[in-house]
Amino acid sequence: MRANFIFSEVWIGLRRNLTMTIAVIVTVAIGMALLGVGLMINSQINSMKDFWADKVEVSVFLCKKDDPFPQCKGSGGVNAQERAELKGEIEGMPQVEKVDVEDAAQAYKNFRAQNANNTVLLTAIQVEDMPESLRVKLKDPDAYATVIEAVKGAPGVSNVVNQRELLEKFFGLLEKLRWAALVVAIILVFAATLLIGNTVRLSAYNRRRETGIMRLVGASNLYIQLPFVMEGVIAGLIGGVLAAMLLIVSKVFLFDGVQLYLSPNSQLSWETVASVISVTMIFGVLICVLASFVTLRRYLRV
Amino acid sequence: MIHFDNVTKVYANQNRPALDHVSVDVDKGEFVFLVGPSGSGKSTFLRLVLKEERPNSGAIHVAGKDLARLSNFKIPHLRRRIGCVFQDFRLLPNKNVYENVAFALEVIGKPRRFIRKVVPEVVELVGLEGKAHRMPDELSGGEQQRVAMARAFVNRPMILLADEPTGNIDPATSIGIMKVLDRINRTGTTVVMATHDAAIVDSMRKRVVELEDGKIVRDQSRGVYGQAY
Repeated sequence: MRANFIFSEVWIGLRRNLTMTIAVIVTVAIGMALLGVGLMINSQINSMKDFWADKVEVSVFLCKKDDPFPQCKGSGGVNAQERAELKGEIEGMPQVEKVDVEDAAQAYKNFRAQNANNTVLLTAIQVEDMPESLRVKLKDPDAYATVIEAVKGAPGVSNVVNQRELLEKFFGLLEKLRWAALVVAIILVFAATLLIGNTVRLSAYNRRRETGIMRLVGASNLYIQLPFVMEGVIAGLIGGVLAAMLLIVSKVFLFDGVQLYLSPNSQLSWETVASVISVTMIFGVLICVLASFVTLRRYLRV
Repeated sequence: MIHFDNVTKVYANQNRPALDHVSVDVDKGEFVFLVGPSGSGKSTFLRLVLKEERPNSGAIHVAGKDLARLSNFKIPHLRRRIGCVFQDFRLLPNKNVYENVAFALEVIGKPRRFIRKVVPEVVELVGLEGKAHRMPDELSGGEQQRVAMARAFVNRPMILLADEPTGNIDPATSIGIMKVLDRINRTGTTVVMATHDAAIVDSMRKRVVELEDGKIVRDQSRGVYGQAY
């Protein structure tokens, strides 16, 4: 009987302030969705980093015939023996895990595969234009400095590309994106809290006659506050469900698509999405309860 | 039942105290009229009994309990033993008579079976049998006040406080209201009624406590209203 009473009061309250309830639901949905997207971006970036971390190599490009690089002028290309020597030297370094040789034919094949859509580029570049390279895999991806130093000036080496450096710029951008998403999410969560508090207070104001009589008649504070808190919680839950749907949609259409371009096979697992959804929903409900209690505390002084 | 010991209450931003060193004892089952001009402290007195306000000094005991020692948590329990009736009725406009009276029981968690048994009894006590499904705006002022009294009484309180209950009601209907109050008093409920209504006070000859500027100037059993104000 008590539960019935509380539920009927909650239902009345929700219906009376329908527009405000909808406003709360929408705000919570957007706020939680953004928070969830921020968390998912965070998780996605981490998995991208993991993906690339062990693929990052130092590429040592070897001089070929008529190589444009200044170091190679006049060397006439590197022959097999010089290449083997260089390979052995690098392999001997303690930071190096292994060295793979990518000859011109292999390089050309990779090039064609990566630029399959760009017919102009494909017709312009021939196999002879591809340089050979040694792909150096490091034991510790962070310890590239010494290796690069040693290899850079060596004869036969046209250019050393530290893929790590390229990625640093890329990941720098991702980091900024990650922070931006989280900041926006936090601001919106804050706004959602204020709005929920306001709505609960408005609802309480509209029902001040009932609350006044309840106080007079000796209803305990909990009994008085509970319907309003529940209103906030229900609106928050509905908003959370909407946010969850938004997150699922964004995962399928946004995240999976993006990571396909950037780092295939590092898409977010459904487990991650599920945990993000539960975190945001719990967070949403918590905000509602907190906002309700704080705004009602002053209003329903004994 | 109600014991005021040298109680003083000063509201903020006011020079003169609303109640000034007031000492009064009301025994169980008594019927007391609280009379005096506007601003003499009648409403303040009632609010102090409910612990809606706290006194600046002095002790108040209700049903043997010292209100100063009563924790905030226990205040609702105190108020369940006290019924209130007001000049403006304070009914819920969206609920009918039955629901208005039942509200007082629902909010303190009484089971529905209990409510279904008790509410009709009390509605009959105040003389509204057959009108249980009317809405407040379908009732006259006198009938609305009876509903308020039913609500105040349904939980069988120890004390019933009435703050000018006949203020909005014509003299003839007021007599009916007072009959109900008398009936309630006879069941053993202590009644304290603040009023301006000289005719009522004179006709009932109950104990009269007169307040003026926050002080008790007269405390007379079987009293009359006094000088015309």
